[in-house]
Amino acid sequence: MQKVGVLAAIDDINAAGGINGMQLEGVIYDDACDPKQAVAVANKIVNDGITHVVGHLCSSSTEPAADIYEEEGVLMITAASTSPTITDKGYQMIFRTIGLDSLQGPFAAQYVINSVKPQRMAIIHDKQQYGEGLATAVKTEVEKAGIKPVMFEGVTPGDKDFSALIAKLKKNDVDFVYYGGYHPELGLILRQSAEKGLKAKFMGPEGVGNPDISKIAGEASEGLLVTLPQSFDNDPANKARVEAIKAKGEDPTGPFVFPAYSAVQVMTDAMTATGTTDAEKLAEYIRANTFNTTTGELDFDEKGDLTQFSFVVYDWHADGTKTPAAQ
Amino acid sequence: MTQSKFYNAIFAAGITFILACLMIGVKLNTEGTTLTVEGATAAQWGWIIGGITVVFFSQLFSNQIDSAFGKLPKPAVSQLVPQSLKSEAMKPWLLAGVIVIMLIWPFMASRGAVDLATLTLIYIMLGLGLNIVVGLAGLLDLGFVAFYAVGAYTYALLSLYFGLSFWICLPLSAALAALFGFLLGFPVLRLRGDYLAIVTLGFGEIIRILLNNWTAVTGGPNGISGIAKPTLFGLEFTRKAKTEGAETFHAFFDISYSSSYKVIFLYLIAVVLVIFLIYLINRLIRMPIGRAWEALREDEIACRSLGLNRTAIKLSAFTIGASTAGFAGCFFAARQGFISPESFIFIESAIILAIVVLGGMGSQVGVILAAIVMTILPELAREFAEYRMLLFGLLMVVMMRWRPEGLLPMKRPQLELNKQ
Amino acid sequence: MSEFSLYLLQQLINGLTIGSTYALIAIGYTMVYGIIGMINFAHGEIYMIGSYVTFIVIAGLLGMGMVSLPIILIIALVVAIFIASTYGWTVERVAYRPLRGSNRLIPLISAIGMSIFLQNFVVLAQGSRDVALPPQITGGWSFGDPSNFEVSVSYMQMMIFAATFVTMTVLTLFISRSRMGRACRACSEDLGMTNLLGIDTNKIIALTFIIGAALAAVAGLLLGLYYGVVNPFIGFIAGLKAFTAAVLGGIGSIPGAVLGGLLLGVTEAMTAAFFPAEYKDVVAFSLLVLILLVRPSGLLGKPEVEKV
Repeated sequence: MQKVGVLAAIDDINAAGGINGMQLEGVIYDDACDPKQAVAVANKIVNDGITHVVGHLCSSSTEPAADIYEEEGVLMITAASTSPTITDKGYQMIFRTIGLDSLQGPFAAQYVINSVKPQRMAIIHDKQQYGEGLATAVKTEVEKAGIKPVMFEGVTPGDKDFSALIAKLKKNDVDFVYYGGYHPELGLILRQSAEKGLKAKFMGPEGVGNPDISKIAGEASEGLLVTLPQSFDNDPANKARVEAIKAKGEDPTGPFVFPAYSAVQVMTDAMTATGTTDAEKLAEYIRANTFNTTTGELDFDEKGDLTQFSFVVYDWHADGTKTPAAQ
Repeated sequence: MTQSKFYNAIFAAGITFILACLMIGVKLNTEGTTLTVEGATAAQWGWIIGGITVVFFSQLFSNQIDSAFGKLPKPAVSQLVPQSLKSEAMKPWLLAGVIVIMLIWPFMASRGAVDLATLTLIYIMLGLGLNIVVGLAGLLDLGFVAFYAVGAYTYALLSLYFGLSFWICLPLSAALAALFGFLLGFPVLRLRGDYLAIVTLGFGEIIRILLNNWTAVTGGPNGISGIAKPTLFGLEFTRKAKTEGAETFHAFFDISYSSSYKVIFLYLIAVVLVIFLIYLINRLIRMPIGRAWEALREDEIACRSLGLNRTAIKLSAFTIGASTAGFAGCFFAARQGFISPESFIFIESAIILAIVVLGGMGSQVGVILAAIVMTILPELAREFAEYRMLLFGLLMVVMMRWRPEGLLPMKRPQLELNKQ
Repeated sequence: MSEFSLYLLQQLINGLTIGSTYALIAIGYTMVYGIIGMINFAHGEIYMIGSYVTFIVIAGLLGMGMVSLPIILIIALVVAIFIASTYGWTVERVAYRPLRGSNRLIPLISAIGMSIFLQNFVVLAQGSRDVALPPQITGGWSFGDPSNFEVSVSYMQMMIFAATFVTMTVLTLFISRSRMGRACRACSEDLGMTNLLGIDTNKIIALTFIIGAALAAVAGLLLGLYYGVVNPFIGFIAGLKAFTAAVLGGIGSIPGAVLGGLLLGVTEAMTAAFFPAEYKDVVAFSLLVLILLVRPSGLLGKPEVEKV
């Protein structure tokens, strides 16, 4: 998905004459989401003399790779890795154009506190970096507001049987569940909950906001709450770009397509403005300025994260569509 | 061409059709929330029919193909080396030559290649370790990756919490992995063959799950990042010294900073570690304990009747193998700078086992060769990224049929009478 | 009944359901092991393929407008068994038979290779994403106090129990009464001798793989319907659990495989019921290590006699 966005952005910029007369070229590397491969790929990128990277996708690959880029003065903007720890180490060369787990968690928690007001809340996660990070963020935030979750527990990713967990939720009379993780597990939890007569409301992060969840859970996915970044492909301003991507036979609706597009925009805007491709100068410029991109106005803080990234709570429907939820 | 041959071929083609017709010929699809099926495209059917034809003719002419293959000489790798180089007198020179080349080439090669070589060396270390357990002692260990993880986490945690350096942690990692090997081995080594395999497999999973769940200490799925890189007598290989008062390598020697120094340095450490391990294991094999490993593998009952302590021998192999993995793990953590439980899944154990078996069980040169093949091949096959694992699986099956004894089978030291 | 005992009962039912499916897959492992003394590492993938075939057939028949659920299920079962058995037979023919008589490790590696191959074959042929089938058999039976704690048993769960029980009975009868079954038992006693007595051992071994694969296909169908989701990676986890179950019960023994499966399932459910659910796999594997320490050949396994 990052690839689609990046290549689209490069095509657009080259078609418009490039940067200061130079044309961009995208080189694709595949780390297979494997941390070991990510280090090898990062070394190869440094070796090939590439100094501007959009990537990587999985947080566990981004993290070791970021170490190398920082060390070697390669500018990296990830459009997909949302783990807060990536930018925690005071890197200079690492940025991202996507909201952090640590932003999404509190946002979801605020909605829970103000709109859902659950009696007995449970927080479930999939023990992975993304899911557990979010679940912990939600837990800290709701506890501040005086909601004490009755359960905080992990499940095994790839597991298919959640009957024991659901029985436990039933026993604890849980009426609201926040799930930190991805759609395959939550889909099954929803489906099995419906079969076992658990009547609780569920909420999840963007990782569950995939049409596939309705395929798995069917009717049981009706009424699920999902926090999602604003969907940029529905933004009228991006219509031409969406069409262009569709014309190439690619899918423009992925959550990382437009953040990746804007990552390229940030890089190229900085290049145009500073008149250089020197990664360190670009990094300084990016940190100091605000960029107008397809994903809106982007402003980076000291750590290289976006100062704000807006999320929306959606009501999910059984046919895989969504509508903004009532506040 | 007999008639039965023809029926056989028809039968094989039919089987291929059954295997392919539903799994490739029909594709599951979801429209909205209902599951639908769609037939494959004409091109896919073309592939299926092509496959069936190939199977049909290869069965029909299997005799001819087999005899053609039979005529192909099995490439005995050991015979590729000219006879003159094999004499005992040449051996030290040859070894010295290989070592010198290994030490010099990174200064001429690209950074990516050196990094890949380092990864290969890690697998060589792992392969050598498992070779002791599986190849020499004949104990099937499917959870070898657990000790690798123990080594990696030992260094990562000690460096994170106590700031211990790589060089101190290296023996500690090996020792701790050995301790785990000992503790696991003590009760389970009285199990026979396949039971041992499943218990070690389970143990590998337990270690991984524990690392994943014990978030307070291991960082859980987040892993541990920012692991310190090794230093050369306190000299750091970074652009600017990270710790107060430390000096950097390039400042000390007053040369301009180059990022590839660090990569080359890591590579050189790996080379030294591998040479050290090979030397150590070579010594061990020649010692009574090494002989006992092999004897036990060949015939357990005979060993016992000769008064060998079965448990002690097995345990020593298991422990030494584990410590080697700890060694490799410590180095892996240093190279990677970031580790998480994701790096220690079952498939890693399977790959290490495949290295040992492909190389020829018990043979050290074979293991080294196989580790090189197993790490370089996927790199070369990057273009067929989608088919990479498919080919990997196929290679394992084909290799076992074609050369079950491995690339370079182990040769026992033997004397031959000179025939005049 | 008190809330606690109802909760315990519910978790017991959950555990027995999942245990039954482990048992079905474990029987395949145990039969192959019992006869040729080898772990069929690709068995989990056969189960996965069985699940895929079920989905394809059900979706296809529903798409053609067929409405009678029992007929659809029977057709799906027959096709799944047929295709999965063919895969089982092919695995034996390609990855085991040419290697018979060589070092124990050789076929194991070849089977691991086969397992990786099949998994990636399905990834390429069907994609790596979850494929979901809407619930076909819904409803269930529940008791207990709705305001307190209600125990529910779905029809699907009952079907899984029944299928496991029937399959095990039929198989046990087959092994103990039929001519082929007697040949199977003879093979597991002494392969070479059986061959000398004029029994085509190759045929018997192939038959074992076919029966094992057929059972995996039954499990594939039941679990596919129960969870409603299939992806190419389910085979590995299911295979690992089932193999653990087989070893737990004493590999080579069919009642042992069933006992091991049920025990493993109940242990998992009880762990998840009273401890954080993420530790259930740790407990499952620790149980295996513990039982093997006390009884090195599993619960119902025969102690191995060492022959000189």
